[in-house]
Amino acid sequence: MTQTLTGIYLPGNTFIHRLDARVKFFSFFALVIATLFTNSWGGYLVMGVISLVLIYVSKLRFSQAIGSLGMMKWFLVIIFLMNLMFFSPENAWFSWWFFTPSYAGFLQAINIVFRVSVVVILSNILNTSTPPIELTRAMEALLRPLSYLGLPTGQIAMIISVAIQFIPTLTMESDQIRKAQIARGARFESRKLTEKAAAIGPLVVPIFLSAFRRADELALAMEARGYRSSQKKQVNKNVKLSSADAFAIFASLVVCIFQIYFL
Amino acid sequence: MNQISITKKSIIAAVCLALCVVLPQAFHAIPNAGSIYSPMHIPVLLCGLICGWPFGLLVGILGPILSSLFTGMPPVAVLPTMVVELAIYGLMAGLLSHLIRTKKLALDLYISLIGAMLTGRVVAGIVRAFIFSRVQVTMKAGATSYFVPAFLELSSNSYLSPRLFMP
Repeated sequence: MTQTLTGIYLPGNTFIHRLDARVKFFSFFALVIATLFTNSWGGYLVMGVISLVLIYVSKLRFSQAIGSLGMMKWFLVIIFLMNLMFFSPENAWFSWWFFTPSYAGFLQAINIVFRVSVVVILSNILNTSTPPIELTRAMEALLRPLSYLGLPTGQIAMIISVAIQFIPTLTMESDQIRKAQIARGARFESRKLTEKAAAIGPLVVPIFLSAFRRADELALAMEARGYRSSQKKQVNKNVKLSSADAFAIFASLVVCIFQIYFL
Repeated sequence: MNQISITKKSIIAAVCLALCVVLPQAFHAIPNAGSIYSPMHIPVLLCGLICGWPFGLLVGILGPILSSLFTGMPPVAVLPTMVVELAIYGLMAGLLSHLIRTKKLALDLYISLIGAMLTGRVVAGIVRAFIFSRVQVTMKAGATSYFVPAFLELSSNSYLSPRLFMP
């Protein structure tokens, strides 16, 4: 019954866990770009093998790595069917009403579903192998060039960091609220649109009120301890990357270039 | 509204950002509710209304990205359109709530909310039609598939958001 988020940090001491968070971010984006450029069976094979190797190296259980895909199964089925049925009316296998399934549509459907699945698995590996605080620092470091444009990057990173830390708490709380409302007779599973709509208010309003109460308390505590958003933050001087980090950057760039130009 | 400190606005924005990830998950309990009511839109609109346009814009941009990173939803394929749409929602909600002053809080709120949602949908529809969309569909089919669900969402958000603002 209890909902669990599939992207939560799982402590470990694997090669992936030990990499610098900035490097993981960079490699993640390089592999996402490589995935988006994948358009051949060879490319699918390379990205599939890379995803499996990363799951194995990060010692992540396969069910954890593909956990989000389970939640998205209906979405994946719908985009598969839509691409299959509507992508190309030329050389259609048959035509009925406005449905025109074709081989080109079938290939496009596989392409889209594959890309979405690989990106979800990669983001799961990134989140499960990196503590939220390191993710925030990495974001802050990667956002730093924007500070030259006058953007308050420190404050943006603080907002992201607080948001990431709130996610598990609010997930648990929303789950409790959902169960409490079911115990009070809320009919979430009803097929009637009116009953569904009536069930939403009692679910959403307490979640928001509880979240804003927490925000109030945290803001008060921060101000009481003298936090000022305009204060200059201490910059992390430890910017040295290890040879493993250099290897990760190199490998992800090679995969990215290989996918774009050769596959 | 102006008495809220920057620190508090930042924390409210952070909570709204977290809700952009949590709320769609909570809506999974209700079949098809995610696609009908677009739960990620509610925190973005509220953030714009409470904290102003810079925070609304930020949450609108980061909300879908963070949710996509954590839960895989929205998928990368629809992420750019959603980022544009939610960014406009947050921006316009903040701007309109700042500009519109009828001396009636509820009226200000409804005008800002509906104005933000209509502008967001129109801009996102245009962006989707001319920049992001690869599949060619007729203007009528595209507009129907994009704007008809917007009315359902508009009515649900118009019902929910003022109740959150003035519980």
